Amino acid sequence: MTIERPPIEPIRSAFRLRFLDDEQLNQLQEATLVVLEKVGVRFPSRKALEVFAAHGADVNWQTEIVKIPRDLVWKSLSTVPRYFRLGAREVSCDLQLQDGVTYFTTDGCGYETIDFETRQRRASCKADVAKMAHIADYLSSMAFYWPMVSAQDYEKTAPLHELDASWNNTVKHIQSETLMGEVPARYAIEMATVISGSAEELKRRPLFSLVVCTIAPLIQDTEGIEGAMVLAKAGIPVGFLAMPTLGTTAPATLAGSFVVGDAEIISAVVLMQLVAPGAPVFHSLMHAWADPRTAAYVSYPLDSHGRCAPIDIAHHWGLPAFGGAYGTDSPEAGTWQAAAEVALDPFLIGLAGAEFVTGIGLSGTYTLLYPEAIILDDDLYHRARYQLTRVDVSPETLAVDVIQNVGPAGHFLAQSHTRKYMRDAMKRAITHQLDAESHYRNPREVAIEKVSWILKNHQPEPLEQAKQKELARILAAADREMK
Amino acid sequence: MYSETPLLQPIVPGYHLRILSDDQIVQLKAATLDILNDVGVHCPSEKALTIYAEHGARVDFEKHIVRLPPDIVLEAMSHAPRSYTMGARLPAFDLYLDGKALYCATDGCGVETIDFETRQRRASTKQDVATMARLTDYLPSIGFYWPIVSAQDFPETAPLHELDAAFNNTVKHVQSETVMGEATARYAVEMAQVVAGDPTVLRARPPLSLLVCCIAPLAQDNEGMESALAFAEAGLPVGFMSMANVGSTGPATIPGTVVAGDAEIVSALVLIQMAYPGAATFHSFMPGIMHPRTGAYLGTAWEGTLLYAIGAEMAHAWGVPTLAGVFGTDAQVPGWQSAGDPASSLLLLALVGAETGSGLGLLESCTLLYPEDVILDSDIYHRVRYEAAGLDTSPELLALDVIREVGPRGHFLRHRHTREHMRKRVFSELTVQPAQEGGYRDPVDVAREKVEWILENHHPLPLEDYQQAELKRILQSAQKELG
Repeated sequence: MTIERPPIEPIRSAFRLRFLDDEQLNQLQEATLVVLEKVGVRFPSRKALEVFAAHGADVNWQTEIVKIPRDLVWKSLSTVPRYFRLGAREVSCDLQLQDGVTYFTTDGCGYETIDFETRQRRASCKADVAKMAHIADYLSSMAFYWPMVSAQDYEKTAPLHELDASWNNTVKHIQSETLMGEVPARYAIEMATVISGSAEELKRRPLFSLVVCTIAPLIQDTEGIEGAMVLAKAGIPVGFLAMPTLGTTAPATLAGSFVVGDAEIISAVVLMQLVAPGAPVFHSLMHAWADPRTAAYVSYPLDSHGRCAPIDIAHHWGLPAFGGAYGTDSPEAGTWQAAAEVALDPFLIGLAGAEFVTGIGLSGTYTLLYPEAIILDDDLYHRARYQLTRVDVSPETLAVDVIQNVGPAGHFLAQSHTRKYMRDAMKRAITHQLDAESHYRNPREVAIEKVSWILKNHQPEPLEQAKQKELARILAAADREMK
Repeated sequence: MYSETPLLQPIVPGYHLRILSDDQIVQLKAATLDILNDVGVHCPSEKALTIYAEHGARVDFEKHIVRLPPDIVLEAMSHAPRSYTMGARLPAFDLYLDGKALYCATDGCGVETIDFETRQRRASTKQDVATMARLTDYLPSIGFYWPIVSAQDFPETAPLHELDAAFNNTVKHVQSETVMGEATARYAVEMAQVVAGDPTVLRARPPLSLLVCCIAPLAQDNEGMESALAFAEAGLPVGFMSMANVGSTGPATIPGTVVAGDAEIVSALVLIQMAYPGAATFHSFMPGIMHPRTGAYLGTAWEGTLLYAIGAEMAHAWGVPTLAGVFGTDAQVPGWQSAGDPASSLLLLALVGAETGSGLGLLESCTLLYPEDVILDSDIYHRVRYEAAGLDTSPELLALDVIREVGPRGHFLRHRHTREHMRKRVFSELTVQPAQEGGYRDPVDVAREKVEWILENHHPLPLEDYQQAELKRILQSAQKELG
């Protein structure tokens, strides 16, 4: 007997907030265009440089720096689809990107895990990716899945094993952030084609997508960009994530860091459109700060305003925005800091209207997996989801008749209206679970229990056996070729 | 020798949001007017009933029920000022309730304290009120002070001793939520006069205001109404708070509870405007949601926080400022829950233009004082403050020249622009304090130390000797009369 998977519940915000006005957005866009034209971006890939040169960009073959005239930028961006679909193994979990809907995923690429059984800290492995996919499959907050930690037991082919562990444990869309280089990209497409049934079907409902990190300031990664070109040609959505750090790899001002990050992203988006016009692409800018005393990467200083401004920047270019939320700097899950830093995120990002967002569930600045963190973060997600819902004001909910019946100094407990609506009136948060003495339980303990409960009671629909075997065969071939 | 009080840092939102549509506001106000006209409100004060009757309300003197026709309500409310000043001992700390900024107070009226020295849990005392007034005098997040716990060592005259402790230890505005009954209120007004110095100042820049709780559903408290009338007569701002509980003392629907609570508040505001047209008043809707298994009042259920923002919009719809519910966690210790609860609600209130909010620093549903909690809450307050502010994209901050100079593959560490602007980045005093063994210190420990540091080092400007003596004399008279 297994428990049914609850449907995905994205944030459908009734409200919208713009963090930058049109004038500011034009200013930022102009600055990016100037950087692309006059400063350029380094593409250390012969293939990419050839594409740019063939389309009239100013390529310096020695420095590998490409300067992109604004006309070429605009022409390339004209073929970008504003919305597209992210396919899933189960059709009902397909995600159609659209205005007013925000889909969330897990965080990804952590490298340590607090062991599910022993609670000891250890290096992450493929089984962790599988278990967390299993849990994310059950959670209504999780619309798609990022392999949460690195499958470090499979060194070079880890990204492919992460995909294998994910597809075998969730029917939801998978997004990789580790697939790098042409060869792994081709294997990943082969794996996805096995599940989809055909290349055409994969293109129509891509079962996975990729996010590639750019390098600040103003550089692309060889393997990252070459893998992305392969995927773009196959119709797999690819996005570019810039992570400028104020004061080290970017100017120490927010606006300046946006310009650096935006130029990196747009240069890569232009390349994708030149390689495969109409390819689904997305924009992601997650800036951070350098601790002035230690130079350490800080996600959440006290003043982290403007976190959601890059979403407006993406939309201004006509691109879907992939937002960054959660990812506390707290070294432990369930602490004051772990909530203080991130609690605003799902609310703000829903208000900003990002189409999709990472990522729930890691601590220690995206490096450490506490299995229960996903449940705690999920709770904060749902708080935001409810807050952003429009209130239903109608004669029935206004309940003037009921108030009349009760009158001054009465109570509403015996009213049939109360019985009818009380079931829905309070959505119980993780913080309001009672123990045997009717005291509230420690939310972290509740979360740890829920992880075990899901793993025990929820069984994601498995891949057909023939497909499982085929994936194993592809992995074996990749292991042989890439060792 | 005294130390200067750091200037206030209210939340000044750069963005604005409306939760309710105009249609919804019209519907909700119409429903409140229906209830006031048809059902009425229970008011056990003869004095209040007489005022209502003299101004055209339909009063049942036997049952103590007042029914208010819509035109009477609207006429009375037309005199209520939309904005005014709540004064402080020093003019630099006056609060301008003009909708441009959100000022927050501490929470109030807690009954237990974690002792500052022994860390044992015990009943609260006047000394705690004094110590916390001095602590929060130092915090720019605290715009005004609610005596945070009850002075239980002075059973009969506790409210006046709380004022004495507050006026003697902070230069900021003080708001009482415990002064009840005409006699006590007159002593409180006398104390405020001593602090203000002369009657003109008392009216122009009142250093004291009062919050009175209504009784849900649809009832007023005798003592509360009479103290409110005494305050309003002296020109001190008074507000009324409804704490209707969805499902028990309010209908099980959110709009139903809004209407029931709003009717209580408006009926009291109308009384004050009838008696003293133009008196400074405010509207405060702080409902809870009943826990379906225990009947407990929950301020932080998943849907609950939306109610506070709706309350603020209802206040504005009636043309008066709001005192909104901020912070106030159901958590039992400072931790994940106490941090996860408040942030998005506070931001939402700032965006809808709430003028004042209470309050920071208590746990266990506003009953238990952990001294360090006010420091932890302040950190969250500042995160929200920065988040709500606008974004500067001026040429200096866009840093285009700097990006050009650095170019691809460089870094920004040595640039003058970085040195200048990196200083302006604000990091949390709690979360990024390096630990000796590497990493960062536990923010809760840092907060505890900060409490100790402030109490050792901050001694705000004392009241003049004659003022202190005068307050003592008033307390002695009160003790004789009321004790």
